Amino acid sequence: MRTTRAGMTTIKIAVIAILAGWVLAGIGIADSKDNQQTAPPDWTGFYTLARARDLAGTNLKPVAPDYDLDKLIVAHLQPWARAKMQVTDGTADDTGAVCKADGIFRFPPFAGRFLWLSAPGKIVMVFGEINTAGVKRIYLNRDHRKNLLPTWNGDSVGHWEGDTLVVDTIGFNSKSWLMSGMEPHTEETRLSERIRRLTAGNSTFLEVVAVVEDRLALTSAYTFTRYYKKVDAEMPENICNEDLSLWKGWRNGALKRQFDRAKEVK
Amino acid sequence: MTCASAAVAQSGRAAGTPPDIGGVYQPISNATALSGGLKNAGFLSDLPLTPAAVQQMKNVDLKEDPFKKCQPLGPFRMMARPDTKIELLPEPGMIVMLFEDLEHGVMRTIYTKRGHKEKLDTTWMGDSVGHWEGDTLIVDTIGFNTDTWLNDTGAQHSEALHLTERIRPVLSGKYLEYKMTAEDPKVLAKPYTYTRYYEKLKTEIMEDVCADEE
Repeated sequence: MRTTRAGMTTIKIAVIAILAGWVLAGIGIADSKDNQQTAPPDWTGFYTLARARDLAGTNLKPVAPDYDLDKLIVAHLQPWARAKMQVTDGTADDTGAVCKADGIFRFPPFAGRFLWLSAPGKIVMVFGEINTAGVKRIYLNRDHRKNLLPTWNGDSVGHWEGDTLVVDTIGFNSKSWLMSGMEPHTEETRLSERIRRLTAGNSTFLEVVAVVEDRLALTSAYTFTRYYKKVDAEMPENICNEDLSLWKGWRNGALKRQFDRAKEVK
Repeated sequence: MTCASAAVAQSGRAAGTPPDIGGVYQPISNATALSGGLKNAGFLSDLPLTPAAVQQMKNVDLKEDPFKKCQPLGPFRMMARPDTKIELLPEPGMIVMLFEDLEHGVMRTIYTKRGHKEKLDTTWMGDSVGHWEGDTLIVDTIGFNTDTWLNDTGAQHSEALHLTERIRPVLSGKYLEYKMTAEDPKVLAKPYTYTRYYEKLKTEIMEDVCADEE
Protein backbone atom coordinates (compact mmCIF):
# COMPACT_ATOMS: atom_id res chain seq x y z
CA MET A 1 0.00 0.00 0.00
CA ARG A 2 1.39 3.37 -0.95
CA THR A 3 1.66 6.11 1.75
CA THR A 4 0.04 9.42 0.92
CA ARG A 5 1.85 12.77 1.28
CA ALA A 6 -0.28 13.55 4.35
CA GLY A 7 0.59 10.17 5.75
CA MET A 8 4.33 10.81 5.22
CA THR A 9 4.00 14.12 7.03
CA THR A 10 2.26 12.38 9.89
CA ILE A 11 5.04 9.78 10.06
CA LYS A 12 7.73 12.50 10.05
CA ILE A 13 5.96 14.35 12.84
CA ALA A 14 5.68 11.12 14.83
CA VAL A 15 9.40 10.32 14.36
CA ILE A 16 10.37 13.84 15.41
CA ALA A 17 8.10 13.54 18.45
CA ILE A 18 9.66 10.22 19.40
CA LEU A 19 13.18 11.59 19.04
CA ALA A 20 12.24 14.66 21.05
CA GLY A 21 10.83 12.43 23.76
CA TRP A 22 14.06 10.46 23.99
CA VAL A 23 16.08 13.67 24.29
CA LEU A 24 13.79 15.09 26.97
CA ALA A 25 13.82 11.80 28.84
CA GLY A 26 17.61 11.83 28.72
CA ILE A 27 17.61 15.30 30.20
CA GLY A 28 15.22 14.08 32.91
CA ILE A 29 17.52 11.18 33.86
CA ALA A 30 20.53 13.49 33.93
CA ASP A 31 18.60 15.94 36.08
CA SER A 32 17.75 13.13 38.41
CA LYS A 33 21.43 12.17 38.74
CA ASP A 34 22.41 15.80 39.19
CA ASN A 35 19.75 16.15 41.84
CA GLN A 36 21.08 13.10 43.64
CA GLN A 37 24.60 14.52 43.55
CA THR A 38 23.62 17.97 44.83
CA ALA A 39 21.07 16.81 47.42
CA PRO A 40 22.61 14.02 49.50
CA PRO A 41 20.36 12.06 51.82
CA ASP A 42 19.51 13.75 55.10
CA TRP A 43 20.11 11.26 57.90
CA THR A 44 19.86 13.81 60.71
CA GLY A 45 18.87 12.22 63.99
CA PHE A 46 19.86 10.43 67.16
CA TYR A 47 21.23 6.90 66.76
CA THR A 48 22.19 4.25 69.31
CA LEU A 49 24.09 0.98 68.86
CA ALA A 50 21.59 -1.69 67.88
CA ARG A 51 21.47 -4.58 70.33
CA ALA A 52 20.28 -8.11 69.68
CA ARG A 53 16.72 -7.17 70.62
CA ASP A 54 16.76 -4.28 68.12
CA LEU A 55 17.91 -6.57 65.32
CA ALA A 56 15.55 -9.45 66.10
CA GLY A 57 13.36 -10.21 63.12
CA THR A 58 15.72 -8.51 60.68
CA ASN A 59 18.46 -10.01 58.54
CA LEU A 60 21.00 -7.52 59.88
CA LYS A 61 23.98 -9.24 61.52
CA PRO A 62 26.91 -7.28 62.98
CA VAL A 63 30.33 -8.67 62.14
CA ALA A 64 32.55 -9.15 65.22
CA PRO A 65 30.03 -7.80 67.72
CA ASP A 66 30.83 -6.91 71.33
CA TYR A 67 34.02 -8.50 72.66
CA ASP A 68 34.48 -10.51 69.45
CA LEU A 69 36.04 -7.34 68.11
CA ASP A 70 38.83 -7.57 70.70
CA LYS A 71 39.60 -11.12 69.59
CA LEU A 72 39.60 -10.08 65.96
CA ILE A 73 41.98 -7.20 66.59
CA VAL A 74 44.39 -9.22 68.74
CA ALA A 75 44.60 -11.83 66.00
CA HIS A 76 45.87 -9.10 63.65
CA LEU A 77 48.42 -7.45 65.97
CA GLN A 78 52.09 -7.40 65.14
CA PRO A 79 54.25 -9.06 67.84
CA TRP A 80 55.48 -5.72 69.23
CA ALA A 81 51.94 -4.45 69.47
CA ARG A 82 50.82 -7.56 71.29
CA ALA A 83 53.74 -7.18 73.71
CA LYS A 84 52.84 -3.56 74.34
CA MET A 85 49.23 -4.53 74.98
CA GLN A 86 50.34 -7.05 77.60
CA VAL A 87 52.30 -4.47 79.60
CA THR A 88 49.64 -1.77 79.42
CA ASP A 89 47.68 -1.24 82.60
CA GLY A 90 44.02 -1.37 81.70
CA THR A 91 42.94 0.81 84.59
CA ALA A 92 45.54 3.46 85.18
CA ASP A 93 46.47 3.87 81.52
CA ASP A 94 42.89 4.27 80.36
CA THR A 95 42.44 7.95 79.53
CA GLY A 96 38.73 7.36 79.05
CA ALA A 97 38.38 6.15 82.64
CA VAL A 98 39.33 9.64 83.84
CA CYS A 99 37.13 11.46 81.35
CA LYS A 100 39.82 12.39 78.88
CA ALA A 101 39.85 11.83 75.16
CA ASP A 102 40.26 8.20 74.18
CA GLY A 103 39.59 8.35 70.45
CA ILE A 104 36.83 6.96 68.24
CA PHE A 105 37.79 3.30 68.05
CA ARG A 106 36.40 2.22 71.42
CA PHE A 107 33.12 3.83 72.36
CA PRO A 108 31.30 3.93 68.98
CA PRO A 109 31.62 0.24 68.09
CA PHE A 110 31.02 -0.99 71.64
CA ALA A 111 28.27 1.17 73.14
CA GLY A 112 27.99 4.03 70.70
CA ARG A 113 25.33 6.65 70.39
CA PHE A 114 25.55 9.84 68.45
CA LEU A 115 23.76 12.75 66.87
CA TRP A 116 24.12 12.71 63.09
CA LEU A 117 23.98 16.30 61.86
CA SER A 118 24.10 17.59 58.30
CA ALA A 119 25.57 20.94 57.31
CA PRO A 120 26.79 22.42 54.02
CA GLY A 121 29.92 20.55 53.00
CA LYS A 122 30.10 18.28 56.02
CA ILE A 123 28.49 15.82 58.31
CA VAL A 124 29.03 16.14 62.04
CA MET A 125 28.75 13.17 64.39
CA VAL A 126 28.48 14.22 68.03
CA PHE A 127 29.09 11.22 70.26
CA GLY A 128 27.06 10.74 73.41
CA GLU A 129 30.25 10.17 75.38
CA ILE A 130 31.42 13.56 74.29
CA ASN A 131 34.27 13.90 76.80
CA THR A 132 36.00 10.79 75.51
CA ALA A 133 34.88 10.17 71.93
CA GLY A 134 34.24 13.83 71.12
CA VAL A 135 33.08 14.92 67.70
CA LYS A 136 33.79 13.52 64.25
CA ARG A 137 33.49 15.94 61.34
CA ILE A 138 33.32 14.38 57.89
CA TYR A 139 34.19 16.95 55.24
CA LEU A 140 32.50 16.42 51.90
CA ASN A 141 34.01 19.35 50.06
CA ARG A 142 37.72 18.70 50.40
CA ASP A 143 40.44 16.07 50.49
CA HIS A 144 42.68 15.41 53.48
CA ARG A 145 44.65 18.43 54.55
CA LYS A 146 48.36 18.35 53.83
CA ASN A 147 50.74 18.24 56.81
CA LEU A 148 48.14 16.82 59.16
CA LEU A 149 48.91 17.10 62.84
CA PRO A 150 48.00 13.81 64.53
CA THR A 151 44.83 14.06 66.58
CA TRP A 152 42.68 11.73 68.67
CA ASN A 153 39.90 11.53 66.07
CA GLY A 154 41.91 12.04 62.88
CA ASP A 155 40.86 13.89 59.74
CA SER A 156 37.75 12.54 57.99
CA VAL A 157 36.69 13.19 54.41
CA GLY A 158 33.77 11.62 52.61
CA HIS A 159 31.88 11.36 49.36
CA TRP A 160 28.64 9.79 48.23
CA GLU A 161 28.48 6.73 46.03
CA GLY A 162 24.77 6.55 45.34
CA ASP A 163 23.12 6.01 48.69
CA THR A 164 26.35 5.10 50.48
CA LEU A 165 28.60 7.54 52.30
CA VAL A 166 32.23 6.52 51.91
CA VAL A 167 34.46 7.95 54.65
CA ASP A 168 38.24 7.93 54.86
CA THR A 169 39.99 8.90 58.11
CA ILE A 170 43.71 9.33 58.64
CA GLY A 171 45.86 11.53 60.83
CA PHE A 172 45.35 9.69 64.11
CA ASN A 173 47.73 10.09 67.01
CA SER A 174 49.02 6.89 68.60
CA LYS A 175 47.56 7.51 72.06
CA SER A 176 44.25 5.69 71.73
CA TRP A 177 43.52 1.99 71.79
CA LEU A 178 41.76 0.07 69.06
CA MET A 179 39.38 -1.37 71.67
CA SER A 180 39.04 -1.72 75.42
CA GLY A 181 41.53 -4.60 75.38
CA MET A 182 44.31 -2.00 75.19
CA GLU A 183 45.30 -2.88 71.63
CA PRO A 184 47.73 -0.19 70.42
CA HIS A 185 47.93 1.42 67.03
CA THR A 186 50.25 3.92 65.34
CA GLU A 187 49.90 7.15 63.40
CA GLU A 188 49.71 4.98 60.27
CA THR A 189 46.18 3.87 61.12
CA ARG A 190 43.58 4.33 58.42
CA LEU A 191 39.86 3.88 59.03
CA SER A 192 37.68 3.32 55.96
CA GLU A 193 33.91 3.24 56.40
CA ARG A 194 30.96 2.63 54.13
CA ILE A 195 27.77 3.93 55.71
CA ARG A 196 24.25 3.52 54.43
CA ARG A 197 20.79 3.84 55.85
CA LEU A 198 18.49 0.85 55.90
CA THR A 199 14.95 0.16 56.93
CA ALA A 200 14.34 -3.19 58.59
CA GLY A 201 11.24 -4.16 60.46
CA ASN A 202 9.73 -0.92 61.65
CA SER A 203 13.07 0.73 62.34
CA THR A 204 15.68 2.77 60.54
CA PHE A 205 19.32 1.83 60.91
CA LEU A 206 22.68 3.11 59.84
CA GLU A 207 24.93 0.30 58.68
CA VAL A 208 28.66 0.98 59.13
CA VAL A 209 31.14 -1.36 57.50
CA ALA A 210 34.56 -0.42 58.85
CA VAL A 211 38.02 -1.47 57.70
CA VAL A 212 41.01 -0.67 59.92
CA GLU A 213 44.54 -0.73 58.48
CA ASP A 214 47.85 -0.02 60.15
CA ARG A 215 50.93 -1.20 58.31
CA LEU A 216 53.05 -0.89 61.46
CA ALA A 217 50.75 -2.28 64.16
CA LEU A 218 48.69 -4.85 62.23
CA THR A 219 49.67 -7.87 60.15
CA SER A 220 46.69 -7.14 57.92
CA ALA A 221 43.49 -5.07 57.92
CA TYR A 222 40.46 -6.18 59.87
CA THR A 223 36.82 -5.52 59.10
CA PHE A 224 33.76 -5.25 61.31
CA THR A 225 30.16 -4.12 60.88
CA ARG A 226 27.86 -2.27 63.23
CA TYR A 227 24.22 -1.19 63.10
CA TYR A 228 22.90 1.94 64.78
CA LYS A 229 19.18 2.36 65.30
CA LYS A 230 17.54 5.73 64.82
CA VAL A 231 15.78 6.72 68.02
CA ASP A 232 12.95 9.21 68.27
CA ALA A 233 14.37 10.93 71.33
CA GLU A 234 16.73 13.69 72.38
CA MET A 235 20.32 12.75 73.08
CA PRO A 236 20.71 13.32 76.83
CA GLU A 237 23.58 15.23 78.37
CA ASN A 238 26.36 12.88 79.45
CA ILE A 239 29.22 14.72 81.10
CA CYS A 240 31.98 12.54 82.47
CA ASN A 241 33.19 13.91 85.79
CA GLU A 242 35.56 11.49 87.52
CA ASP A 243 37.81 12.81 90.25
CA LEU A 244 40.92 13.57 88.26
CA SER A 245 43.10 13.59 91.38
CA LEU A 246 42.76 9.81 91.43
CA TRP A 247 44.49 9.74 88.05
CA LYS A 248 47.81 10.78 89.48
CA GLY A 249 47.85 8.05 92.08
CA TRP A 250 46.85 5.36 89.61
CA ARG A 251 49.32 6.57 87.05
CA ASN A 252 52.32 6.45 89.39
CA GLY A 253 51.49 2.96 90.52
CA ALA A 254 50.88 1.77 87.00
CA LEU A 255 54.14 3.15 85.70
CA LYS A 256 56.02 1.13 88.28
CA ARG A 257 54.04 -2.00 87.42
CA GLN A 258 54.65 -1.51 83.69
CA PHE A 259 58.37 -1.13 84.25
CA ASP A 260 58.50 -4.34 86.29
CA ARG A 261 56.31 -6.21 83.81
CA ALA A 262 58.30 -5.07 80.76
CA LYS A 263 61.31 -6.94 82.11
CA GLU A 264 59.32 -10.17 81.95
CA VAL A 265 57.67 -9.84 78.50
CA LYS A 266 59.64 -11.56 75.72
CA MET B 1 8.96 49.03 57.12
CA THR B 2 10.49 47.79 60.38
CA CYS B 3 14.18 47.05 60.75
CA ALA B 4 13.45 43.33 60.95
CA SER B 5 11.35 43.33 57.77
CA ALA B 6 13.91 45.47 56.00
CA ALA B 7 16.60 42.97 56.88
CA VAL B 8 14.48 40.12 55.57
CA ALA B 9 13.78 42.01 52.36
CA GLN B 10 17.46 42.79 51.87
CA SER B 11 18.49 39.17 52.46
CA GLY B 12 16.15 37.85 49.79
CA ARG B 13 14.65 35.39 52.26
CA ALA B 14 10.94 34.72 52.24
CA ALA B 15 9.08 36.57 54.95
CA GLY B 16 8.94 34.57 58.17
CA THR B 17 12.07 32.58 57.32
CA PRO B 18 14.74 32.85 60.00
CA PRO B 19 18.25 33.79 58.93
CA ASP B 20 20.80 31.02 58.46
CA ILE B 21 23.22 31.46 61.35
CA GLY B 22 25.07 28.21 60.70
CA GLY B 23 28.84 28.44 60.68
CA VAL B 24 31.96 28.86 62.75
CA TYR B 25 32.35 32.00 64.88
CA GLN B 26 34.86 33.56 67.23
CA PRO B 27 34.38 36.59 69.51
CA ILE B 28 36.03 39.88 68.59
CA SER B 29 38.54 41.34 70.99
CA ASN B 30 37.28 43.67 73.70
CA ALA B 31 39.40 46.44 72.17
CA THR B 32 37.69 46.21 68.79
CA ALA B 33 34.88 48.52 67.70
CA LEU B 34 32.86 47.40 64.70
CA SER B 35 31.05 49.65 62.27
CA GLY B 36 28.37 51.62 64.04
CA GLY B 37 30.31 51.54 67.30
CA LEU B 38 29.35 47.94 68.12
CA LYS B 39 31.60 46.67 70.95
CA ASN B 40 31.71 43.92 73.50
CA ALA B 41 30.21 45.08 76.80
CA GLY B 42 29.94 43.65 80.29
CA PHE B 43 32.72 41.76 82.00
CA LEU B 44 32.09 39.08 84.55
CA SER B 45 34.25 40.69 87.21
CA ASP B 46 31.46 43.23 87.85
CA LEU B 47 28.56 40.88 88.59
CA PRO B 48 25.96 42.44 90.92
CA LEU B 49 26.34 39.75 93.60
CA THR B 50 24.33 39.83 96.81
CA PRO B 51 26.36 40.28 100.02
CA ALA B 52 25.92 36.62 100.85
CA ALA B 53 27.11 35.61 97.39
CA VAL B 54 30.18 37.84 97.76
CA GLN B 55 31.03 36.12 101.04
CA GLN B 56 30.48 32.71 99.48
CA MET B 57 32.82 33.62 96.64
CA LYS B 58 35.57 34.60 99.05
CA ASN B 59 35.44 31.16 100.62
CA VAL B 60 35.80 29.29 97.34
CA ASP B 61 39.04 27.39 96.72
CA LEU B 62 40.18 28.62 93.32
CA LYS B 63 42.10 25.37 92.81
CA GLU B 64 38.70 23.72 92.38
CA ASP B 65 37.90 25.90 89.36
CA PRO B 66 36.20 23.69 86.76
CA PHE B 67 38.36 25.42 84.14
CA LYS B 68 41.53 24.04 85.75
CA LYS B 69 40.01 20.56 85.92
CA CYS B 70 38.93 20.48 82.25
CA GLN B 71 35.29 20.42 83.30
CA PRO B 72 32.39 22.29 81.67
CA LEU B 73 32.13 26.00 82.41
CA GLY B 74 28.46 26.37 81.55
CA PRO B 75 26.99 28.71 78.94
CA PHE B 76 27.12 31.92 80.99
CA ARG B 77 30.85 31.83 81.63
CA MET B 78 31.83 30.10 78.40
CA MET B 79 30.18 32.52 75.98
CA ALA B 80 31.93 35.48 77.64
CA ARG B 81 35.41 34.05 77.18
CA PRO B 82 37.60 35.81 74.58
CA ASP B 83 38.85 32.58 73.01
CA THR B 84 35.57 30.70 72.62
CA LYS B 85 35.24 29.43 69.06
CA ILE B 86 31.80 27.99 68.35
CA GLU B 87 30.11 26.08 65.56
CA LEU B 88 26.37 26.54 65.04
CA LEU B 89 24.49 23.77 63.27
CA PRO B 90 20.84 24.59 62.53
CA GLU B 91 18.87 21.36 62.16
CA PRO B 92 15.16 20.53 62.00
CA GLY B 93 13.75 21.27 65.41
CA MET B 94 17.01 22.32 67.01
CA ILE B 95 20.16 24.33 66.77
CA VAL B 96 23.28 22.56 68.00
CA MET B 97 26.17 24.61 69.35
CA LEU B 98 29.57 22.95 69.51
CA PHE B 99 32.78 24.35 70.94
CA GLU B 100 36.35 23.98 69.74
CA ASP B 101 37.30 23.89 73.44
CA LEU B 102 35.28 20.74 73.84
CA GLU B 103 35.85 19.93 77.49
CA HIS B 104 34.99 23.42 78.71
CA GLY B 105 32.15 24.19 76.31
CA VAL B 106 30.90 20.66 75.54
CA MET B 107 27.74 21.09 73.45
CA ARG B 108 24.39 22.80 73.69
CA THR B 109 21.20 21.79 72.01
CA ILE B 110 18.62 24.55 71.62
CA TYR B 111 15.26 22.99 70.92
CA THR B 112 13.08 25.15 68.69
CA LYS B 113 9.90 23.06 68.57
CA ARG B 114 9.13 22.57 72.23
CA GLY B 115 8.98 24.39 75.54
CA HIS B 116 10.77 23.38 78.71
CA LYS B 117 10.02 19.90 79.97
CA GLU B 118 7.80 19.75 83.03
CA LYS B 119 10.19 17.52 84.92
CA LEU B 120 13.75 18.65 84.47
CA ASP B 121 16.84 16.94 85.78
CA THR B 122 19.47 19.56 86.55
CA THR B 123 22.41 19.40 84.17
CA TRP B 124 25.65 21.22 83.43
CA MET B 125 24.22 22.92 80.32
CA GLY B 126 20.61 23.31 81.45
CA ASP B 127 17.61 22.87 79.18
CA SER B 128 17.53 25.36 76.30
CA VAL B 129 14.54 26.22 74.16
CA GLY B 130 14.46 28.85 71.47
CA HIS B 131 12.23 30.71 69.07
CA TRP B 132 12.72 33.35 66.41
CA GLU B 133 11.44 36.90 66.63
CA GLY B 134 12.22 38.27 63.20
CA ASP B 135 15.97 37.99 62.82
CA THR B 136 16.64 37.34 66.48
CA LEU B 137 16.90 33.93 68.09
CA ILE B 138 15.66 34.09 71.67
CA VAL B 139 16.98 31.28 73.86
CA ASP B 140 15.68 30.50 77.33
CA THR B 141 17.68 28.15 79.57
CA ILE B 142 16.85 26.76 83.00
CA GLY B 143 17.57 23.54 84.85
CA PHE B 144 21.22 24.07 85.78
CA ASN B 145 23.11 22.07 88.37
CA THR B 146 25.43 24.00 90.66
CA ASP B 147 28.71 22.55 89.40
CA THR B 148 29.64 25.58 87.29
CA TRP B 149 30.82 29.02 88.33
CA LEU B 150 29.64 32.39 87.09
CA ASN B 151 33.15 33.77 86.67
CA ASP B 152 36.89 33.15 87.14
CA THR B 153 36.90 34.40 90.73
CA GLY B 154 34.54 31.76 92.05
CA ALA B 155 31.13 33.44 91.99
CA GLN B 156 28.60 30.65 92.48
CA HIS B 157 25.06 30.28 91.23
CA SER B 158 22.06 28.28 92.34
CA GLU B 159 19.73 25.91 90.53
CA ALA B 160 17.48 28.95 90.06
CA LEU B 161 19.85 30.36 87.44
CA HIS B 162 17.88 31.50 84.40
CA LEU B 163 19.62 32.57 81.21
CA THR B 164 18.12 34.50 78.32
CA GLU B 165 20.11 34.89 75.13
CA ARG B 166 19.36 37.08 72.13
CA ILE B 167 21.33 36.15 69.04
CA ARG B 168 21.08 37.87 65.67
CA PRO B 169 23.26 38.40 62.61
CA VAL B 170 24.53 41.95 62.09
CA LEU B 171 26.63 43.76 59.51
CA SER B 172 25.35 41.66 56.61
CA GLY B 173 25.77 38.45 58.55
CA LYS B 174 29.49 38.83 59.05
CA TYR B 175 28.96 38.92 62.82
CA LEU B 176 26.56 37.62 65.41
CA GLU B 177 25.40 39.95 68.10
CA TYR B 178 25.12 37.88 71.26
CA LYS B 179 23.40 39.23 74.37
CA MET B 180 23.35 37.07 77.50
CA THR B 181 21.21 37.92 80.52
CA ALA B 182 21.49 36.01 83.79
CA GLU B 183 18.95 36.04 86.60
CA ASP B 184 19.41 34.23 89.89
CA PRO B 185 17.58 35.85 92.81
CA LYS B 186 19.58 33.73 95.27
CA VAL B 187 22.90 35.14 94.07
CA LEU B 188 22.41 38.21 91.88
CA ALA B 189 20.96 41.44 93.26
CA LYS B 190 19.56 42.19 89.81
CA PRO B 191 19.69 40.66 86.31
CA TYR B 192 23.03 40.98 84.58
CA THR B 193 23.61 41.33 80.84
CA TYR B 194 26.72 41.15 78.74
CA THR B 195 27.15 41.57 74.98
CA ARG B 196 29.64 39.90 72.70
CA TYR B 197 30.14 40.11 68.94
CA TYR B 198 31.15 36.89 67.24
CA GLU B 199 32.85 37.09 63.85
CA LYS B 200 31.92 34.51 61.24
CA LEU B 201 34.99 32.57 60.11
CA LYS B 202 35.82 30.49 57.08
CA THR B 203 38.05 28.15 59.07
CA GLU B 204 37.24 24.73 60.45
CA ILE B 205 36.83 23.78 64.07
CA MET B 206 40.01 21.95 65.11
CA GLU B 207 40.49 19.30 67.75
CA ASP B 208 41.43 20.96 71.05
CA VAL B 209 41.94 18.62 73.99
CA CYS B 210 42.20 20.18 77.44
CA ALA B 211 45.30 19.42 79.53
CA ASP B 212 44.46 19.80 83.18
CA GLU B 213 46.84 21.77 85.38
CA GLU B 214 49.21 19.63 87.44
